[in-house]
Amino acid sequence: MSLLEAQREQTRARYPDSEGYVARDGVRVFYEVYGDGEPTVFLLPTWSIIHSRHWKMQIPYLARHFRVLTFDGRGNGKADRPSGIGAYTEYEFAADSLAVMDATGTKTAVVVGLSCGTLWGTLLAANHPDRVLGGVFIGPAVPLAPGHPERYVHSFDDRLDTDDGWAKYNRHYWLEHYVEFLEYFFGKIFSEPHSTKQIEDCVGWGLEIATETLIDAHEALELCGLEQFRDVCDRVRCPVLVIHGDEDALHPLARGAALAEATGGRFVTLEGSGHCPHVRDPVKVNLLIRDFVESLGRSAA
Amino acid sequence: MTIVAGERAEQTRARYPDPEGYVERDGVRVFYEVYGHGEPTILLPPPWAIVYSRVWKMQIPYLSRHFRVVVYDGRGNGRSDRPASAEAYGEREQAADALAVLDATGTEQAVVVGFSWGGKWSLILAAEHPERVKALCFLGASLGFSREPFPYELYPFDEELDTDEGWAKENRHYWLRDWQGYVEWFFSQCFTEPHSTKHIEDAVGWGLETTAETMILTEEAPELELDETRELCTRLTCPILVVHGDEDAVVPHAQGVAIAEATGGRLVTFGGSGHCLQVRDPVRFNLVLRQFVESVA
Repeated sequence: MSLLEAQREQTRARYPDSEGYVARDGVRVFYEVYGDGEPTVFLLPTWSIIHSRHWKMQIPYLARHFRVLTFDGRGNGKADRPSGIGAYTEYEFAADSLAVMDATGTKTAVVVGLSCGTLWGTLLAANHPDRVLGGVFIGPAVPLAPGHPERYVHSFDDRLDTDDGWAKYNRHYWLEHYVEFLEYFFGKIFSEPHSTKQIEDCVGWGLEIATETLIDAHEALELCGLEQFRDVCDRVRCPVLVIHGDEDALHPLARGAALAEATGGRFVTLEGSGHCPHVRDPVKVNLLIRDFVESLGRSAA
Repeated sequence: MTIVAGERAEQTRARYPDPEGYVERDGVRVFYEVYGHGEPTILLPPPWAIVYSRVWKMQIPYLSRHFRVVVYDGRGNGRSDRPASAEAYGEREQAADALAVLDATGTEQAVVVGFSWGGKWSLILAAEHPERVKALCFLGASLGFSREPFPYELYPFDEELDTDEGWAKENRHYWLRDWQGYVEWFFSQCFTEPHSTKHIEDAVGWGLETTAETMILTEEAPELELDETRELCTRLTCPILVVHGDEDAVVPHAQGVAIAEATGGRLVTFGGSGHCLQVRDPVRFNLVLRQFVESVA
């Protein structure tokens, strides 16, 4: 795969009905709206290593039943790339999300977050209960339970004398071998067999952010502490669905279970799935999301 | 990837056969399946005993919503018998199986898709039983029309070679030594498109349901002379479609061009496709085939 190929956008099963930019403090993010059903399903950005195309297996299906809103978070896709750790905290992403809702006339929505998208999804639900009807969190990257020990062996900042395995999750390695890091990282994310296409897509999106910017976005997420996140969870009042693959090599199942417990949500384990079941097992995840969204309508009625 | 022959449970299917059964000729049983009940019937013969009818799994559910589809496992693999003589795998025997399946399933006439080596068997059927074949599609087919050797003819099949690199694996001794090694190599050449790991794994699993010994018999089996093949082509009267990938690494695209020339058929070239384009680009192939079937129906 050449970089050029990775960066030329592929054709889509469905194109947005409207799209646009919204700016906050001079930082623009790019949003897309699909369909006009009810309610709105808001597919949030995750870590800036990829952009909103990672929802491509959800958008065409969900947009036939609901209105779908998504956006490229700061740092990737068609959004701006501000510099500095402070630009990439969960508070900034949550504020961007709210700004996108305002710009698109979205009074309320069901938010769907992947991995660290959970951090801003829960924050939005906790701080703006009148805007969030429910939350779906997939493979949550939350500090409520310990992570995989192998991810904590090596320092992110020190220069290491190895690049084996998770030693590649290292500032110096990223700056010198970024493509190799992306290939390793997405290889871990897509632990299911026959994932070459999904890995290739993600590596392509990963090449749309500069390494220095990704380092900022990484360090910002490290700031999210346990106490502070517990407090957010305590304040979430809306119905919650947590979906987690039991072979997730990035964030262990215990994290998803703890989030479901902390928010009083329902916990669904997907057997044999890795960190992105919405990409590798989209039919199952789409049906779970649809059932959840429709159950909210029933309880409101 | 680890695959152990005989230990795999069959995968679930998008659609299951309506009737299925066996037809027996000279003591050899061949297993067939029928899907749907539209008109006309499409017969999808096997291409070679290295795979069997599941190779059509991306065609069956779609085509059977519009037409009636008949598939069968060729002798030597799947649920069919594995006769122990080379004669039993001859091209005329293969064509006779196709005819027997048409008879057993009450199929007066069918559109036939001859894939790879199955192109030759389908040619015999269409030329010698024209009333049974409404139209013929050659898919990645080989009728032996080539001045250059095919990739799999580069090395002598029977001699002990001092290499097993690449197509040197197309060799009796290598097959007996490492059948799985051959199957993995062969399907890597069939599926040249990116992101084919699933298709390769499926096909390797099917290839391990037969044995090197059986497959050697298919290589020793009687084949038509080139003159006979050419003569059969002149006898074809039904509409002909030729579909071939321009990156076919097993049967070069020039073969499709030659078949279209020899049969007066219409050639459709799939850019970037390998030998099994119906597996890797099923939507496009299914639409091309459906359009062809509807044009002759």
